[in-house]
Amino acid sequence: MKHSLIGVVLGAMLLPAVPAIAQNMDEMTPEELYEIAKTEGSVTVFSLSSRIAKIETAFEAQYPGIDLIGLDINSTRQIARLDAEQRADIYAVDVLYLSEAPVVLRDLLPAGMVTKYVPPRVANEVPAELQTDLLTHRLSTRALMYNEAAYPDGTPIENLWELTTDEWRGKVLMEDPSQRGEALDLLTEISLRNDEMAAAYQAQFGEPINVDDDLDGPGEQFIRDLFDNDLVMVNSSSELRAAIGDINATDPSVGWTTYSASRKNEEEGWALQISNDTVPSAGILFPAVLTVAKNAPSPASARLLVDFMMGNDTPTGGPGFEPFYVQGDYAARRTIADHPDAVPFDDLNLWTMDPAATGAARARILDLIIVLQ
Amino acid sequence: MTGLVRQRSRAARLLKARNFVPFVMVCITAILVIMPLLRIVQISLGPEGLMAWSDVTASRLSTNLLWRPITNTMILGAFVASGCLLLGGFLAWLVVLTDVPFRRFLGILSTLPFMIPSFAAALAWGTLFRNDRLGGQPGYFVANGLYIPDWLAWGLLPTLIVLVAHYYSLAYTMIAAALSSVSADLVESAEMAGAKKSHILFGILLPVVTPALVAGGMLTFAGAVSNFAAPALLGAPVRMQTLSTRIYGMVQTGNIERGYVLALILIVAAAALLFFSDRLVSGRKAFTTVTGKGARTKRFTLGKWRWPLFVIAVALGMMTTVIPVLVLFASSMAQQSSGLFTNWTLHFWIGPAGTELAQGQAGIFRDPILLGSIATTIRLGLTVAATTMLIGLVIAHTIVRYKGTFLGNTLSQLAFLPLFIPSIAMAAAYIAMYGTSIGPIPALYGTFTLLVLAATANLMPYAVQSGRAVLSQISTDIEESAKMTGAGPVRRMFEIVLPLAVRGVLAGGTLVFIKIVRDLSLVVLLFSSTTPVLSMMAFNYAGLGFMQFANAITLVILVICLIASALVYLLQNRIQGWKTT
Repeated sequence: MKHSLIGVVLGAMLLPAVPAIAQNMDEMTPEELYEIAKTEGSVTVFSLSSRIAKIETAFEAQYPGIDLIGLDINSTRQIARLDAEQRADIYAVDVLYLSEAPVVLRDLLPAGMVTKYVPPRVANEVPAELQTDLLTHRLSTRALMYNEAAYPDGTPIENLWELTTDEWRGKVLMEDPSQRGEALDLLTEISLRNDEMAAAYQAQFGEPINVDDDLDGPGEQFIRDLFDNDLVMVNSSSELRAAIGDINATDPSVGWTTYSASRKNEEEGWALQISNDTVPSAGILFPAVLTVAKNAPSPASARLLVDFMMGNDTPTGGPGFEPFYVQGDYAARRTIADHPDAVPFDDLNLWTMDPAATGAARARILDLIIVLQ
Repeated sequence: MTGLVRQRSRAARLLKARNFVPFVMVCITAILVIMPLLRIVQISLGPEGLMAWSDVTASRLSTNLLWRPITNTMILGAFVASGCLLLGGFLAWLVVLTDVPFRRFLGILSTLPFMIPSFAAALAWGTLFRNDRLGGQPGYFVANGLYIPDWLAWGLLPTLIVLVAHYYSLAYTMIAAALSSVSADLVESAEMAGAKKSHILFGILLPVVTPALVAGGMLTFAGAVSNFAAPALLGAPVRMQTLSTRIYGMVQTGNIERGYVLALILIVAAAALLFFSDRLVSGRKAFTTVTGKGARTKRFTLGKWRWPLFVIAVALGMMTTVIPVLVLFASSMAQQSSGLFTNWTLHFWIGPAGTELAQGQAGIFRDPILLGSIATTIRLGLTVAATTMLIGLVIAHTIVRYKGTFLGNTLSQLAFLPLFIPSIAMAAAYIAMYGTSIGPIPALYGTFTLLVLAATANLMPYAVQSGRAVLSQISTDIEESAKMTGAGPVRRMFEIVLPLAVRGVLAGGTLVFIKIVRDLSLVVLLFSSTTPVLSMMAFNYAGLGFMQFANAITLVILVICLIASALVYLLQNRIQGWKTT
C-alpha cells in the first residue's frame, strides 16, 4: 500500500514534466534522440505506403536496438483508427505517415490528436509552405495516366473535355470516389477550378460552356458529363493500373491514379505514363505528411524516425528516403533531387491542392457523385 | 400499496425459478445486441443524424443512396436464398438419402465452398469472365475468342452466382443435418402403408426438414444482403451498389450518420421479412417425432441416375471449390499479375526480406506479424465458437421449451436480430457503444474482448438456428422422463440434450469458427495493431496491390478452415458412433 502510494505521488510529480521533455525533444539532435530511443526499444508507424518495409530494414540497420513496427494502412483508415483508439484512451501508435490533408488539418490537428514535428536538421531545407501546419514528407499525385506503348507519340488526351466525348465513352477509369478519399479530392479540385475548366471547354468545342441549372459551375458540369459518358469506377487501384498500363494492350483506356505507379512499369509489364500535356491540368499534387501522434509511447524514437525518413544530405536522400526516390514522388526537402526518369517538378502540369478549400467543398461533391451514379 | 404488492408479485412471478433461465438469456442478448443498436438509433436522432435521414430518404440523393441499392440488395437476398436452398437441398438429399456413389467425398466437397472467402470466388470469376470493360488483361474466355457481354462479366448476375456458389454449402450443412435425423422407421412404415415416393417426400421428409429449410433460407438471405466483397468487386465497374457497399462507402468517407441510417433501414426491411417467415413456420401444425432420434437412415435407390447425378454433384464442387483455389494458388506464385502460370516463385511464401521482389518484403512465413496473426485468428475462432455455441444452445433450448410464453417469444425475436444487422454496421455500433469507457467498464476498442463480443453477437443466430434445428428433433418425452426421475435442468442439459444435439452443435461450432476466421466485414473496423487477424492482412495486401500476399494468406485461411472441419468430422463420427451417414 505504502509502496503504491509513493508510486502515485512520484507519478504525479513527474506528470507535468512530460510536455517539457517532449518540447525539449523537438530541439534534440538525432544523436541525443537515439540515446533516449534506445531505452524505448520500439517505434510503431502507420504508413500509407508499403515501402515502409524498406524503411524498416534501413532504420534498424542505422539505429540498432530500436524495433520499427511498420503497418501499412491507407490514409482514410488511419484517420478512423487513430480517432477510435484515442477516444478509447489507447495510445499505441507513434508516427503517422498519411495523406488526406483536408481531413487531417480539419479534424485531427485542431483536436490535438497529432502534433507537428520538424527535425531541426532539415527545417531550413523544406519550403515554408510545406511545414506551416504539419511537416510534408513528399508531394504525391493523382494524375491522368495513359499507355505509352499504345500511344508512343504522347498523350491521346490534349484537353480534359475530350474525356466527355463519344470517342472515350466507357474508356475512362478512376477509383470509386465515394470510397476513396484521394479520388474525391481530385474531383473536388476540378469543381473548384471553374475558370480554367470553362476556358478549356471553349478551346475544345469552340463555344462557351452552358452549365446546367442545378450545378454550381463548369467544374461540376465536367463531372456530370464525365459520369454521363460511362466513367468506369473500380475499387482496387492495382486493377486500375493494370487495366490502363498493360504493355500489350491494343486500345487501352486512360484513368487517374498516382504517377508513382509508373515506377512498377518494368516489374509488372506496364507502360504507364503521366498525361502531362493535358489542359488545363492532368490532376492534383497533394502532400503526404509525417506527424507524431498524441501521447506517443516512444516520443524520442518517433522523432528519430521522422528525422530518418527526411533523408540525408545526398541527392537521393540516402537509405531513409531512397524508397520514395522514385518517379512520380517529389521530396519536400529541396536538397533531394527529382528522379531522373520523372517529369521535373517545375514542369508538372498539376494543380496543388488547397487542403482547406477542398475540406470545405468535399461533402458537396460527394453528394453530386452519389446523384450521378 | 396493494397495487405495489401486486406489481411486486407479478415481477416475482416473472422471476420465478421457471423463468430464470429465459430471463437471464434475454438480458445477455439485450446487452450484446440491443444496446449497440439503440446507440445507433440514438446517434441517428442527433442533429446530424436527422439531416442524414432526410438526405437518405427524401432528397435528390435518395434514388442512388437508398432505393436502387435496396432493390439490388433484396433481389440478391431472395435469389441467393432460393438458389442456395435448391443446390444445397439437392446435394443434401443426394448425400444423405440416396445410394449415390462416394457419398462421403461428395459430402466433404459440398462443405468446402463456404471456407473460401467470398472475395476469392469473386476474383476467380473475374479471372474467367472478365471482359474489356476495364481494359487490361482479358479473362480466360475473352482471351480465347468468346464474347462476354457486360451483364455476364459484371453486376447483379455474376454477384448472384458468386454468392450462391459461396453460400450453398451453408444450406447444405443445415439441411443435411436435419435429413440425417429422419428415422428409417418413419420412411419404412410409410412405405409399408403403401405411400408413394412423392407422398413420402411431401408428407414426411419436407415437414421434418422445414425448420432447416427456413433456417438455411434465412441465413443465406442474411449472408447475401450483408456481403460486401462480391458486390464491391463485381458491381463497381457497372456502378451497381448494394446497401452494404453503400454503408461501407459512407463510413469510409466520414458520413457515418448516413451509414447508420442505411443500416437501420436495412435492419427494418429485413426484420419484416424475418417476422413473415417466422409466422410461416410457427403457423404450421407442431409435431414431434415420437420415437426420439432414429438409429438408421433410409436410403433411396437411384438406379440409372446414380452416376449422372454423381457427375453433376462433382462438377458443382469443382466449379465452386477447385477452380477458385487453383486460381488463388497460381497467383500466389506468379511474379506478375498478368502471367498466372509463368515465372513461378516461392518468394511470396518463404522468400527473405530485402530482395527486389515485393519491394523488399519477406514472404508471409517469415513475417513475425503474420505468424502472430495466425495464432490470434485461431484463438479468436475457437473462443467465438465456444462462447457462441454455448449461448446459442441455451437460447435455442429455451426457445423450444418456452415456446409461446412472453419471454420465449422475446428471446426468439432477439436472438435472430443480428442476422439483419450487416456486420460492418454491427462493428460500427460496437465502436460507438464500447469504444469509450462507460463507468467502471474500460474502453474495449482494439482489444481481443471487443472482437469476441461483437463476433458472438454477430454470429449468435447461426448458433441458435443450428441448435434449434437439431433440438426440434429431440423428443420432449425423453427429457420429461428424466425430469420425472428427478434430474435437474443442468443435468438434463449435459446428459440428454447435449449428447443428442452434439452433432448439430459441432456443425454449428464449425460454421461459426469458419465464418469468423474468414470474416472481413466485421473485423475491418474493430481490429487494431494489437489484434491483427489474417483476413484483415489479406485485405490490406489486396488493397495495396500485393495480390500474391493476399492470395497466399487466403489459402492459409482455407487450410485452417479445412483442418478445423476435418477434426470436427472425425470427432462427430466418434461421438455419434452408433450412427453412420
